[in-house]
Amino acid sequence: MQTVDFEFRNELIKEDFSLNYCYQCGTCSSACPVAFITNGEYNPRKIIEQSLLGLKDLLIKDQKPNVWLCCTCQMCVEECPQNVFLTEIFEKIKNRIVVLGEPYPETYKVQAKSVLENGLAIPLTQPIIRRRDQLGLPKIESANIEEITKLLNATNFEKKINLMGENK
Amino acid sequence: MGENLKRVMVIGGGIAGIQASLDLAERNIKVDLIEKNACIGGRMAQLDKTFPTNDCSICILAPKLAECFRHPNITLHILSEVKNLSGQPGNFKVKILKKARYIKEDECINCGLCIEKCPMRVDDEFDMRLRKRRAIYIDYVQGVPSIMTIDRENCLFFTKNACRICEKVCEKEAIDFDQIDEEIELNVGSIIVATGYDIFNPKSIETLGYGRYPNVITALEFERLICASGPLGGHLTRPSDKNDPKKLAFINCVGSRDIKNNPYCSSCCCMYTTKEAMIAFEHDNEIETSIFYIDLRAAGKGFREYIQRGVNNYAIKYIKGKVAKILEDDQRNPLIIYEDISTSQVKQLKFDLVILATTMVPKKDANELAKTLGVKLDNFNFFKGESFHPQKSSKEGIFLCGACREPMDIPNSVIDASGAAAKAAEILMRG
Amino acid sequence: MSYNYFLGCVIPGRLPFIEASARKAFEEIGIKVGDQAKCSCCPDPTGTAQLDHESFLALGARNLCLFEENNSNILSLCSGCTETLKTVKHILDNDNDKKKEINSKLSAIGKNYKGNAEIKHFAEVLYENIDKIKEKVKKPLKDLKVAGHPGCHYLRPSEIINWDDPLNPKTLDELIEAIGADPVDYSLKNDCCGNPVEKSDKDISLSMLENKLQSMREAGADCIVCVCPACYQQFDFNQREVNKKKNTEYNFPVFYITELIDLALGMDTEGLGLNFHRIKVNEILEKIT
Repeated sequence: MQTVDFEFRNELIKEDFSLNYCYQCGTCSSACPVAFITNGEYNPRKIIEQSLLGLKDLLIKDQKPNVWLCCTCQMCVEECPQNVFLTEIFEKIKNRIVVLGEPYPETYKVQAKSVLENGLAIPLTQPIIRRRDQLGLPKIESANIEEITKLLNATNFEKKINLMGENK
Repeated sequence: MGENLKRVMVIGGGIAGIQASLDLAERNIKVDLIEKNACIGGRMAQLDKTFPTNDCSICILAPKLAECFRHPNITLHILSEVKNLSGQPGNFKVKILKKARYIKEDECINCGLCIEKCPMRVDDEFDMRLRKRRAIYIDYVQGVPSIMTIDRENCLFFTKNACRICEKVCEKEAIDFDQIDEEIELNVGSIIVATGYDIFNPKSIETLGYGRYPNVITALEFERLICASGPLGGHLTRPSDKNDPKKLAFINCVGSRDIKNNPYCSSCCCMYTTKEAMIAFEHDNEIETSIFYIDLRAAGKGFREYIQRGVNNYAIKYIKGKVAKILEDDQRNPLIIYEDISTSQVKQLKFDLVILATTMVPKKDANELAKTLGVKLDNFNFFKGESFHPQKSSKEGIFLCGACREPMDIPNSVIDASGAAAKAAEILMRG
Repeated sequence: MSYNYFLGCVIPGRLPFIEASARKAFEEIGIKVGDQAKCSCCPDPTGTAQLDHESFLALGARNLCLFEENNSNILSLCSGCTETLKTVKHILDNDNDKKKEINSKLSAIGKNYKGNAEIKHFAEVLYENIDKIKEKVKKPLKDLKVAGHPGCHYLRPSEIINWDDPLNPKTLDELIEAIGADPVDYSLKNDCCGNPVEKSDKDISLSMLENKLQSMREAGADCIVCVCPACYQQFDFNQREVNKKKNTEYNFPVFYITELIDLALGMDTEGLGLNFHRIKVNEILEKIT
């Protein structure tokens, strides 16, 4: 049985007031390429509907619709007649999934770990450095790892992404 | 003072302006009805049928047009525009510019010979540019006054000093190229603005493909196509290949309730798309219609029952889900991508013809007229009425009625007009 | 206005030939662009940004600080980086509380965000100099039918990106025309390539790619042009995957707009690293010479 979580809904609204403006017209779903391919199983309008209704478990635990399927093309945002900032709201939901330790696709964690360890999503490997030399490209001085670590400690990044699985 | 100022000027000869004029005339008040075009009738004359009765529009309009024309208290000033206003309520001085029509009004019998012979072809605005008219023309076949007009911007005589064929063939010698524009000054006690509306051009909503896809049209264009006196003679065929369309889609709220375009509701679309779907079904029982909506706004008397009749008797499918994307297959069939909110499924459906219900927007020249009259417009550029007296403009003695002040349907325009007429008459009754 | 490159992660780390073509293009047109050391991941608007907003703002702000400290503006080679940096700037410049919060995190590493650096996508700068490009064209790419793919983060959300028309873009096609090629009009031009959703569901990503490829084929395109390395990867690496799954035979060569510009400006193909593309571009090179 679904229960309404008013606090969840109100917090979302506080973080992004445009959630309030939605009048459930379905323009976003009509414009969404992923909604079309999945025949509405991924459904931006539904995610907003569930956010408005405070159906926290559906969004965070069951992840139905699966908010991670958003391709971030922003067509919904561009077409929405009420200026609801859908992708920003989806980000807030995803952030909550992470912080509450609920499961999400591994690939995100892999990228996050690379950023933590190298300061880059894609670290510079030896073959690539050689190829860069071949092409006459200048050497790249990457970010100081200590500095990145210090900064991301200040935002608790590592802690947050290591939470996945702790809730099981 | 005296009888002279028991006069009201009504600007705009659509249904609202006509109703206001008739109301005033019946009270023995003189009316100067100012109309920009050569014929009165406005948008209502462009419609095929009217909801919720599905009466033939021109059939119920024509008696009012005739009455306006022959009523002894109404003076029709066609091809006229207001240029200047001075004075105060009870005694306004209005300068009107009356364009020449180059026809002797007492001679023309509307026989149509000149039209047959005129060599020029001009986009017919009344028919939403779906066909061409001649340089000598009447706005529409049942137009009142039923007198021809020459469009001097496109007439060969005026542009190249040639032709004059109409003059040669007219048996009543009614053509008069020597006529000139006139400026006249009218003295009236109060003024009613009833200038009506334009429709939003959906070309700016790229993803719907209007302007790129020939089989995506606006509702007003559909009215002309399905009307017996329209470019197709009432037999509906679709623009790309002239085939009979069997699957029609109506999309509501195109440009309406939309912060990026027109934030307000256009008030009539839910009803008129139902009406158009009904008319299409009457023309051809094999036609299947679908109406895509956000909400079905049918608030008037008998309106909800009208929608139900659409479902029960005309097989209209109502689908909740606003359409944002239309594609096209290689037969130029529009493909609508939509979410059916009742099932949450997002699908693609092929149609033969798609009709867009676009917003009623203020006329382009509303700004200019407002400036001339010294009245305020609201943030959407509609004429601004007072909160508790919506027919009162921001200037005393000037009143508003009909779609020029907010989107409204015909029954409401008529009611509004009577209200404005009463208010306008009050000014004259003072002192 | 002095610019320094923001290279991002993908281009220097995986597609260095794109970096080479961009550097050569700007040099040839006469626009001086410097380098900025110590940049980190922007961070990825489709990756890290989705996990933690605060870290996203902090990393982005740190990158902006580097350019501020160097008194230069940002010329980004990647649409994703452009979106991230423009978004971070937009948020911090318009929300004083957020700015204070992030600056308190930045103080841990001795930095302070002020908001002085402007961000431009490299194609913005190219477009602003389109007349210079036209002047310098030596070998117009005549009869080359190019399917321009503007992508999503190049345009939207328009409130933040503030560049081309978000639903009907023209700048990429105009750049294609400027070098003498023919930008084909295909029905799904403004659709997403599908790259970001690959992190969550590869099938959906490939379906989106397939739709684009089909539309391009129907329009008779010879090749594809991108302004974003994520789109580039999707098109260059994954046509093979689509073919495997759907039994199709897509084989469009894929270019970055700077590569085509270099060719049109008469540069020798040798130094461009075109052999590092996954889908061979030999046919196209033959067509234009």
